[in-house]
Amino acid sequence: MDDPKHVLAAILDAGEVMLTSGAEVSRVENTIGYMAAAYGFTKVDVFTIIYSIVVTVQDADGNIETQTRRIENRDTNMRKVELINSLSRRVSRERIPLEEFKKEVEEIRAQKGYPGWMILLIYGIVAGAFSVFFGGGIGDAAAACVGGLALRMVILAGNRLRIQNIILVMICSGVAGMIAVLMVRLGIGKSLDMIIIGDIMMLIPGLALTTSLRDMIRGDLISGLLGLCEAVIRALAIAVGLALVLWRFG
Amino acid sequence: MTARICSENIYMGVAMIRAVIQTLMGVIGAIGFSILFNVRGRKLAAAAGGAAVAWIVYLCAQSMQGDKVVSLLCATVTVGLLSEILARLIKAPVTILLVPMLIPLFPGGDLFYATSNIVGGRGEEGAMYLDLVIKEACAIAFGIILVTCLVQVILKIWHHFFGTVHGL
Repeated sequence: MDDPKHVLAAILDAGEVMLTSGAEVSRVENTIGYMAAAYGFTKVDVFTIIYSIVVTVQDADGNIETQTRRIENRDTNMRKVELINSLSRRVSRERIPLEEFKKEVEEIRAQKGYPGWMILLIYGIVAGAFSVFFGGGIGDAAAACVGGLALRMVILAGNRLRIQNIILVMICSGVAGMIAVLMVRLGIGKSLDMIIIGDIMMLIPGLALTTSLRDMIRGDLISGLLGLCEAVIRALAIAVGLALVLWRFG
Repeated sequence: MTARICSENIYMGVAMIRAVIQTLMGVIGAIGFSILFNVRGRKLAAAAGGAAVAWIVYLCAQSMQGDKVVSLLCATVTVGLLSEILARLIKAPVTILLVPMLIPLFPGGDLFYATSNIVGGRGEEGAMYLDLVIKEACAIAFGIILVTCLVQVILKIWHHFFGTVHGL
């Protein structure tokens, strides 16, 4: 049998990829449990919250091993969650060797999502669409589109500089406001409100609100509360960022 | 008399066109968010269809009784159930379908109006919008909770009588 330390580290890698890709906490716990059982551990205790994974395993010889992971950045990439999920199913079925397992986890971790230019484009299009959705005209949509593109740039720069998520949201909503003001002054788009609302919709914490409520109802109060706090604070951050701009230019 | 009916028809027509455009934009938004979550294939189509259903239910509910908050609750419950069913049909996590479907319902507009009114010194309007945002967010939250509870209970009963089926 492989060294339990390395087996557990590999399993935690898989769990980490899942959690950082936006999987629900209960799904991560279950998957780690399945994989640990497949690699011959007789007792597995997993405790996961959205910021951390703790696993203690015991093998047939009575050796006990505990490892933890701190989760820093969470993103949403459903493809990765699905791939790790199917990998765990395969491990349960046919116990693939540890080296191969590690390689596959690394491959999944390195998976690229949709290309960067497409994400950028989506930010522009969706911001424009929501501007029309809330009653804006074509000019407002074009202005919101520019704002959406700028938001993506700011988010990329913020991630590169490792700016804390909440502060980044605040900066983003401020930038969205300033670009809307600029666009109206340039004569592209008439309604400041519609332009800003289109851009703001890109920052709304919809995922955090939905998953946290569902976590809570399924009995995972800690993750639910953390997620709900995150959603509320993000909404406040949007308001604060906007307030700073509107107070000066509104 | 004829003139009035005529103008009413035109008014209705304009309202319909606006509703269609709005629904279309909501669907574009939902597809966009699905892509940002790196969702692919037929799950994209499911999310888009769900977003259209959400907004149509919202508009119908609003034209029937006029209250924004109640309409939001109706729409949330509808797409909540829809996403639970679709997720099991196409084997996808529920949240990944539900979140894009709900996106058009989130009160981004009223959050903006609350902020801009408060900052602009129009306290009364600001307070009104703030109140509305909180109520709207709670309506969506309540809808999600309602559906999740309901599905849990139904699944427990199902498992009790028919045994556990993988994927449910």
